[in-house]
Amino acid sequence: MTAGRLAGSSRHGEPWRVGVLFSQTGVTAVVEETQLRGTLLALSEINEAGGIAGCEVVPVIYDPQSNDRNFARLSHRLLANDGVNVIFGCYTSSSRKAVLPVVERLNGLLLYPTLYEGFELSPNVIYTGAAPNQNLMELCAYLLAHYGPRFHLIGSDYVYPRATNQLMREVLADSGGVLTGETYISLNADRRDLVPVIAELRRTRPDVVFSTVVGDPTIHLYQAYADAGFDPRLMPIASLTTTEAEVRAMGCAVAEGHITAAPYFQSVDCVANTEFVRRYQRRYGSDEPTNMCVEAAYYQVHMFARALAQTRTIETDVLREKMLGATFEAPQGLVEINAASSHTTLWTRIGRATRSGQFEVIRQSARPVVADPYLVGYGRTAPHA
Amino acid sequence: MPERPAAGTRAVADPPGILVAVPRDADGDFLVRELQRTRARVQHIWPPPATLPDGADVIFCDVAAARAGCLPWVPGEPAAALVVVAGVPADLAALRDCAPDAVLHRPFTTDAVAAALTLARSHFDYVRRLQTRIARLEETVRSIRNVERAKSILMSTRQMREDEAYKLMRSQAMSLRVPIGTVAATIVDGGAASALCAMTAREAGGDAPG
Repeated sequence: MTAGRLAGSSRHGEPWRVGVLFSQTGVTAVVEETQLRGTLLALSEINEAGGIAGCEVVPVIYDPQSNDRNFARLSHRLLANDGVNVIFGCYTSSSRKAVLPVVERLNGLLLYPTLYEGFELSPNVIYTGAAPNQNLMELCAYLLAHYGPRFHLIGSDYVYPRATNQLMREVLADSGGVLTGETYISLNADRRDLVPVIAELRRTRPDVVFSTVVGDPTIHLYQAYADAGFDPRLMPIASLTTTEAEVRAMGCAVAEGHITAAPYFQSVDCVANTEFVRRYQRRYGSDEPTNMCVEAAYYQVHMFARALAQTRTIETDVLREKMLGATFEAPQGLVEINAASSHTTLWTRIGRATRSGQFEVIRQSARPVVADPYLVGYGRTAPHA
Repeated sequence: MPERPAAGTRAVADPPGILVAVPRDADGDFLVRELQRTRARVQHIWPPPATLPDGADVIFCDVAAARAGCLPWVPGEPAAALVVVAGVPADLAALRDCAPDAVLHRPFTTDAVAAALTLARSHFDYVRRLQTRIARLEETVRSIRNVERAKSILMSTRQMREDEAYKLMRSQAMSLRVPIGTVAATIVDGGAASALCAMTAREAGGDAPG
């Protein structure tokens, strides 16, 4: 038996051990590595400030290589062999779904710092990224009002884009939108796979291309789009997943004018964010952008640490109770983990990519928005359409 | 939908397939003999391969082997009822992390083997039923959204009353032999116009005399 799980606490001066599962290789490594960095930055801040109850918080880090089976296997190893209860990790919904049965059966706690498609509510997960009512609904309304009703949906071929597009189709159908096409490309798609998509867009000329493409193919999509000469002022790519990290990888000029909805952009103007960006860039380089996934990965570790400082035990049932209902002044603004849903009350923002690789915030909620993972309180009509 | 087998034709379950991954010692041989007495198809494997084969209904596995990762699943997604054979002294953390349905301690006795087998199967089946129930509830939550929305669409596009809209969806679901949620999803999902055309055509066909 390992000490961490035996004691569930650090009474004997042993470090607190936590698991970290973000891919450092494979197709979604670009953004998952930034989540790893956000996690490690927060951990080092906590340890530099003396740790929790006088003990360091030490991460056990594995690279699941963008492979869902590895996520399942490694989460099992963390919980069963490494004496870990709490795991920070997962980007894709398919990886979260691979980890879910393991943390549920062994009563671990997954802190999941990524937007996702909703319709989930596990007692063993705390969701710190956006649910659809916190990004998709506002984005859709904005696009209908400013660009027009004709949408082409393009996504990577896995559970998140398909579930998100199903919702998008419903909202469009009910808000006077028109679907001009729907395309899925492989998670490993290369430049050539986009040729038919570009040809179709040239033919159908939608008002908006709504993208839930993730990982490296994001870069190919935007580059092929620019090469085709499409003008983002007239026909933008609107995304829930394209962050500053992908923009940097594809080139700022390529991304300029395209639109993303997210709770956080590096350009958010508040003291907490200025400090966060400064510390992030001091550690990782002055030209390294932050993004919504880094930010969630970062603030969720701090919220965990605050709860742990109060409970002084890392036992799941005790820690979860302390985290539920907690508030935190995150870089995006004040956030709160909703006790009923285990999801986080977040800011809704719409940003337009600028030439410098940042997003200019063009719309923002007046206050943080409560997550509604099952969309109980939402119709299907876009809010202002 | 209740589907009761006719009286006297109650199906008899196939005897379970049981995989035994414990050392080939006197206890191990005893365990295999006891399980064979239950009419089960028993396969004894030792030493265990890196991953035990799929397909068994029940697995009896040495705790150290299970801990080392020979089970063909991760906890939470078991494919068989699991009885873990505890070591001496029992490693409680290892027992918990293997997530078994029952535990068997040495020395084995006839009663202990029978009890472990019975409890493991009962517990495994119960958890599976709960998981099925959760999955159905999740599906129902989604379909309620669709049915409510489809009802509104029918009411506004076809000037139906609420009860007429529900009735139309129900009758479509019955004639197509699909859940009402599926009919609703077709109406809601962008293809409202075409779904309605198809429905109307079928309705007309169904109502037409001859």
